[in-house]
Amino acid sequence: MIATGGHVAVVVGLAATLFAAAAFALAARGDDRGKAALGRRAMIAAFGLAALACIAMVTLLLTHDFSVRYVARNNATTTPPFYSVISLWAALEGSILFWTLLATGWAALVLHRYRDRAPTLMPWVGVTLALVAAFFFAVMAWPGDPFVRITPVGTEGNGPNALLQNHPFMGLHPPLLYLGYTGLAVPFAFGVAALVTRRTDEAWLVIVRRWTLVPWIFLTAGIVAGAWWSYAVLGWGGYWAWDPVENAALLPWLTATAFVHSSMVAERRGALRIWAHALVVATFVLTLVGTFLTRSGVVESVHSFTASAIGPWFAVAIVATLTGALVLLVWRLPDLRDTRPPGGTVSREAAFLFNNVLFLGITFAVLFGTLYPLIVDATSGERISVGAPWFNRVNAPIFVALLFLMGVGPALPWGGARWPTIRERFAFPSLASAALVIGGWAIGLREVAPLVALGLAAFVVTVMGDEVVRGAHARARSRGEDPPTAAWRLATRNRRRYGGYLVHTGVCVMAVAVAVSATLASDVTATLGPGESVRLGAYTVSYDSLVIEPLSDDPRVTETRAELTLSGPQSGSLAPALRDYPNSTTPIATPTVRTAIGEDLYVTLLAYDPANRSVTLHLFVNPLVVWIWVGGVIVALGAAFAVWPEPRRRPLPAAAGA
Amino acid sequence: MSTRGGLLRWVAVPLLVVPVTWLLFTGLGRDPRDIPSPLVGKPLPAFAATTLEGEEFSSESLDGRPALVNVWASWCDPCVDEHPLLLAAARAYAGELSLVGIVYQDSPDGARGFLARYGDGGWPDLLDPSGRIAIDLGVTGPPETFFVDAAGIVRYRHVGPLTEEVLVEQLAVLGLDR
Repeated sequence: MIATGGHVAVVVGLAATLFAAAAFALAARGDDRGKAALGRRAMIAAFGLAALACIAMVTLLLTHDFSVRYVARNNATTTPPFYSVISLWAALEGSILFWTLLATGWAALVLHRYRDRAPTLMPWVGVTLALVAAFFFAVMAWPGDPFVRITPVGTEGNGPNALLQNHPFMGLHPPLLYLGYTGLAVPFAFGVAALVTRRTDEAWLVIVRRWTLVPWIFLTAGIVAGAWWSYAVLGWGGYWAWDPVENAALLPWLTATAFVHSSMVAERRGALRIWAHALVVATFVLTLVGTFLTRSGVVESVHSFTASAIGPWFAVAIVATLTGALVLLVWRLPDLRDTRPPGGTVSREAAFLFNNVLFLGITFAVLFGTLYPLIVDATSGERISVGAPWFNRVNAPIFVALLFLMGVGPALPWGGARWPTIRERFAFPSLASAALVIGGWAIGLREVAPLVALGLAAFVVTVMGDEVVRGAHARARSRGEDPPTAAWRLATRNRRRYGGYLVHTGVCVMAVAVAVSATLASDVTATLGPGESVRLGAYTVSYDSLVIEPLSDDPRVTETRAELTLSGPQSGSLAPALRDYPNSTTPIATPTVRTAIGEDLYVTLLAYDPANRSVTLHLFVNPLVVWIWVGGVIVALGAAFAVWPEPRRRPLPAAAGA
Repeated sequence: MSTRGGLLRWVAVPLLVVPVTWLLFTGLGRDPRDIPSPLVGKPLPAFAATTLEGEEFSSESLDGRPALVNVWASWCDPCVDEHPLLLAAARAYAGELSLVGIVYQDSPDGARGFLARYGDGGWPDLLDPSGRIAIDLGVTGPPETFFVDAAGIVRYRHVGPLTEEVLVEQLAVLGLDR
């Protein structure tokens, strides 16, 4: 009954989105407000239907209804309620259902908020968003039906993917990522609308940058949460492996970030407009490619689900979107030429252009590395994989250049800079940077990556700090405010700029943390009998006993735990474990991480011998890892500060002479 | 923009669309789990275990005839899909083909229930409580099927549910093609 209801909701949802697309198309032709309102209501209804289908699926999962194939494959009678609920996105069909909910949610929100604004653009925005949502409903109506029944009905199900039921972060990382992915359809829709209606002026850019930044925040948070999950669960002591699906999330992030930058030049100076449009298109196509990689089983990864009939649908959708968007872009190319002459080579415009080129460079490198095994397999039939060292080697220099630009760009004036300005603005930051590098060397830092990161981070932060201090001083003097008030008012009067500075600060924090943790980590592997201990740096870990018992909240899972005592800068007991899930051949690691401001102690149980109770442990001391997460939070907060809606300015009363 | 440049810019469309289309569709024909097994071309690792009926079974008794070693579990839903194919192969090649099941991460009662429900072909199903056999075979998850020739050499490993096409093709490699 519930499953039938869910299926009906999907089919009606498909009808509603198709109806909405038709209504918006008619509204666009006749400039008809009434039809646009009809389309908007249909999209809100589609969101409600997607929500109903999600509720149906969650109910089926919570009641362990194994007559539904998705439930039989992703749930067991012993699955705890929390993991039953989040199993909604634990596998292919459920993910698409959840995805549809978010995509229709964004669409309904945007169409509702702009119901009285941008009347020329909105019908086309509506058509695009409705068609995107219709695609997802259609996938669920045909190849990826989440409510398919099976007979005969089993008494026990497969249980969720072991990796996905091992950590509560699975409740956070996918929704954040999906919110980012689905939200990026909004800028694409505005981009299409602007090109179709030839309203490629500054107005659409203002709307679109805001609606790129909001999903961008979720995408950033989703990527960082994913790295955190990988660190806390996979037990290899790292957080980023250049896994194809990690790359799939990074690719639209890179192009969206590039867009946020070029859109500023496009808005202020009428330049880089082709870049801005092309990046909006590329970002959306890459979110589809990301979904395709994750969901079709084309590449091997911890994330990919088994190959399925959904693949061809996505392939067709990607090709159709790419072709349509490219034709539109090429057709309107004459409209997108720069309206003003370009700036000099040492100008803020030039810095933004370099920024875009570098982001595109990383995008190509990551895309190439991700797809290279596919190309090799298709041409020679050989199976290869591209490892993390390749990605690191290719991308590290580009990231260094980006970090440098991050310091230079904001301090350069529009149009062009003269030598005295350059000297005045960069003398102090260069000194600060050199001082930090020398200081690092003096305390014994010899690795190149941390020294470079430290030097550049100092440069970027002082350039920004210098500007904030100067601005605050000037304001404090001219308005008689005290400096903190002046700084706050300065920031809230120009949220975009100072929010951006906060984002850049977060990136600097992350860059230093990544460079340090990647090069200065130490580790040791040891096999210990009961009572024996191992030392790593200042830490001593002694092994007390081995405990093998079923997990209390899911007795089908056996946990093997090494009980350890830690002494050193941190002390207490540790219990890294391996969990054996009935539906996974390899046991799932459950490492123990002790986090401190300076470094993490990370202990993972590699193997154990039940016969003589010996355990093999892998210990890592990972410096500054916690600052990667802190940096990620700063980035998200900075972007949120930048897009925070300004209070509507009250119209000035006629007698405002005070 | 000149007319020539105006027309030339359209070249960008196929230049991007054609390779992307090619890559996406060739990618689709590829199963990432289909990693060549290191066992292919090598003798099947020897194993001995107790069957569901409580009898002792050794892989040595497979010698001299082609064999299918099928790894399955009662909780494995795709195993249900492929089960009729195994039953059909056992019937079609009775006396020419040996079948052995390896019960993967499952209770004896669960496995018996599966056979009672979906049909028992009568071939031995081995219990593997320690997972030793599965580890020796390099199993990534059920279902998985190993095609072993009469000399005891693994000729093919199939990951995921068997299809009729794969079964017919690989049995032919083993010399069974009627």
